[in-house]
Amino acid sequence: MLADDHNLMRRGLRVLLEQQPDFAVVGEASDGRDAVALVASHRPDVLVMDIGMPSLNGIEAAAQITQSHPDVAMVMLSMHSDESYVLRALKAGAKGYLLKDSAEADLIRAVHAVADGKSFFSPAVSKVLLDDYVRKLQRSGTEDPYDLLTPREREVLQLVAEGQSNKEVAQLLNLSVYTVETHRSNIMEKLNLHGVPELILYAVRKGIIS
Amino acid sequence: MATPPEVDLQSRQHARTIRRILLLAFGGLLALMIVAGLTALHSLRQLDGIERQINQRYSAHSQALTAILISVHVYHDQMERYLLRGEGSESAIDAIDVQKRAANVRQALHTYPADTDPEERALLSEIQQKFAEEENAFAVLASQHPRAPALETQRFVGDQMTLRRAYILQVSQQVSSLNGKELMDAKKSLAGSFQNVQFRLVSMVSLSLFAGLLMSLVGGFYILRLERQGRARYQELVASRQELESLSVRLVDAQEEERRSISRELHDEVGQTLGALLVDLGQLSKLAPAQDNLLQGPIARIKSAVESAVKAIRDLALLLRPPMLDDLGLVAALEWQAREISRRSEVEVDVHSERIAEHLPDDIKVCLYRLVQEALTNAARHSGAKHAKVSVVQNQGSIRMQIVDDGAGFSPERVRGMGILGMEERVKRLGGTLTIESAPGQGTTVLAEIPTEPANPL
Repeated sequence: MLADDHNLMRRGLRVLLEQQPDFAVVGEASDGRDAVALVASHRPDVLVMDIGMPSLNGIEAAAQITQSHPDVAMVMLSMHSDESYVLRALKAGAKGYLLKDSAEADLIRAVHAVADGKSFFSPAVSKVLLDDYVRKLQRSGTEDPYDLLTPREREVLQLVAEGQSNKEVAQLLNLSVYTVETHRSNIMEKLNLHGVPELILYAVRKGIIS
Repeated sequence: MATPPEVDLQSRQHARTIRRILLLAFGGLLALMIVAGLTALHSLRQLDGIERQINQRYSAHSQALTAILISVHVYHDQMERYLLRGEGSESAIDAIDVQKRAANVRQALHTYPADTDPEERALLSEIQQKFAEEENAFAVLASQHPRAPALETQRFVGDQMTLRRAYILQVSQQVSSLNGKELMDAKKSLAGSFQNVQFRLVSMVSLSLFAGLLMSLVGGFYILRLERQGRARYQELVASRQELESLSVRLVDAQEEERRSISRELHDEVGQTLGALLVDLGQLSKLAPAQDNLLQGPIARIKSAVESAVKAIRDLALLLRPPMLDDLGLVAALEWQAREISRRSEVEVDVHSERIAEHLPDDIKVCLYRLVQEALTNAARHSGAKHAKVSVVQNQGSIRMQIVDDGAGFSPERVRGMGILGMEERVKRLGGTLTIESAPGQGTTVLAEIPTEPANPL
């Protein structure tokens, strides 16, 4: 399903998606309220939604949809590569974040990724986040807290950031769910993160996932 | 409302003329009073002199007259005794003695003051004449009858002498009364001229008084008019200042509104259209054969041109009015601004926020955002700061914001650019306060406090 207030953009995205044999566009919304209503009636697997929309913006709409239909995977479209938007989108429950000027190149990959329960970010977004992070570390002269993580913790971090649940991580690494949870809270503490969205953002910054 | 220069010049000349007239009038009044006083003093002194003269003359005349009367009386007494000698008493009085007394009388007559009027002069010469007659008669009597019979002598004494004596007495009485009359006349004329002086003085004083009153009135009116004019000017000034203030408030509002609409237009219309164009271009490139360079080349060029246009428009829109202010709220917008400054300059900016409400009134958000934008831009551009810290804290009823940098600093009293004026304008408009603390080499602290609820709900 698509949500964008611009006809031209929607038309372009629809054409792009429908070229894929396994994709079908089940609905189009032109603002946030529309999107919330249509998600309820169409129950799509993936929602591609613009952040800047009238009446209810994409982030608010995403938050409402996450509440009512947590199984709908969302890719946010935005003109902004800045952290505030990315973090807000993640907090609102979005899995993917695409810049509009690279939508054409990355849309298919992004939809595939979020449909599989993984995160996806435009390469330009990852680059901006990474640059900010590195610059800040350099200028403040502090140590990268990533160096404090053990190899096992780094593995857990990557898997969690990719969207795996604790159970899946435990299976993959042959650990108990309890141990994975301990690793997770250690990571959070060492990196001074609060919640999965920040953790994903951190992973993107560090270039661990993209 | 502004006065044209010619009118201003004219009114200034007018005022100068009035000032000059008032000065002249007051000067004239003062001169008049001084002259009046001096004249009065002079006249009084003159009158005093005249009175003294009159009194002196009167007393000299009456003294001289008394001297004449006394000498005549002594002469008669002497002569009587001389004529009646030998009638029992043997006194040694002879003619020589009598003549001596007569000389005294002449002396007295002679020393009578010369400043006599004709009437007096005539009376005096009458006395002189009578006395001369008597002297002659005595001389004849003395020479013809050294020892005159008692009878004749008695007759002489009884008739002639008594008669003459009475006459002289009567004439001198006349002289005396004439003298008194003269004194009276002189005093009367003195009183007249005194009255004259008095009249002159009174009229001058009342003239001065009247002129002074008139001038006080004119001056008072002039002062009142000036005062009224001054008050009117002041009110005009206050009104025009208020107008200016409301104008600058409206200017800030209009500017913000304009920016918002241009930003929206750029972002939503131009930006989105270009985005859609990019998607279509991608499609086009996929539809054309990959090795067809004749098509793929221009498509790639168009794509990169559109991409740079999208970027330019996005930057412009962000600068004009960051959409995160509307989309994500104040804190996110401030964080974005901080990162943006960090990316573009040498200053690393941290943002700290506490208890900032999700939905703040738009004008407060915009105000705080623009303050941070201005302060950070200044810090990045001029101060050479390495770090800056923005903190926003919301308390009961107000938001407190502090922006500190470690740059070169400046003297806030001396440097007052448009940027700082704009900041003050924005804060004042919301009823808040703005303080800028800085000194060369000390960094800069911008402190703002903005009420979140209107101070006086109308």
